Amino acid sequence: MAKVVVAAAGIVTEADLSTAKMGSRFGRMDLLSQLALLAVERLGINFEKMDRSRIGVCLAVSAGSLPTDIEYWKGRKEIGGPSPTLFAYTLPSSAIGEIAIRYRLTGPNLCFVGTDATLLPEARDLIERKEVDGCVCVACDVITTAASELIRVQPKAQVRAVFLVRGTNGVALEEKHRDMESVCALVCAGESARNCAR
Amino acid sequence: MDHTFDMHVSTNELKTKIIESLRLQEVTPEQIEDDAPLFGTGLGLDSIDALELVVMLEKHYGIVIKDIEEGRPALRSVRTLAEFIEAKQTAK
Repeated sequence: MAKVVVAAAGIVTEADLSTAKMGSRFGRMDLLSQLALLAVERLGINFEKMDRSRIGVCLAVSAGSLPTDIEYWKGRKEIGGPSPTLFAYTLPSSAIGEIAIRYRLTGPNLCFVGTDATLLPEARDLIERKEVDGCVCVACDVITTAASELIRVQPKAQVRAVFLVRGTNGVALEEKHRDMESVCALVCAGESARNCAR
Repeated sequence: MDHTFDMHVSTNELKTKIIESLRLQEVTPEQIEDDAPLFGTGLGLDSIDALELVVMLEKHYGIVIKDIEEGRPALRSVRTLAEFIEAKQTAK
């Protein structure tokens, strides 16, 4: 039986947004969705050659939609009220929708708020149970200054993405690989670096 | 809060405000035709953009649209929107 492998992995930060060419509607997304979408784009996966109804999307968001919730809440004091566009992003899973729409992926999806420890095992299960052929996994650490003051953690804007698939062309995903940080580090090091998107 | 609004609305000024309020990227005012549909074809805006434009009208022109049916004909194109704003400001 073919193993589940990491076909591609990559990390993006807020600095990467300045050079991103993602189309006219990219600007209306919140920071989390922008980074998540850019991280997936940078993986360079050609989904057109796949059965997109069998590609899943799994997302982990460390602070949920808190940064956007705060921004939306501040908008209530403005003339005309808060931005209706921003309201669409006051859900932790919004980035899944943006990824699914852009790449027309209609497979199952999962959203985890908090740690990304269950992200890879769940995605791997989806593949091993043959519910999907591949799975886009995205772990978002997006904590704005306003959010960091509220939850007392350092501000951060970093997103990791990997594409898991059953096969041999990639780095084998083992039981010990439970978090996105170590998997991205593994893929982006040494001989596996060809699968690394930077 | 005190706001004064210019009675004349140029389509170029309006295009800039649309781009800013909808955060359109890689789009310039020159690329938007005065009579091109804002929704569907043309700029390809959607229902959330319509709400955002309603907020923009209140924020920048002091015009409140309480019934979307009232705003629907105005939101057809940049030109109809400019005419709507001028008519509303004249009626004040």
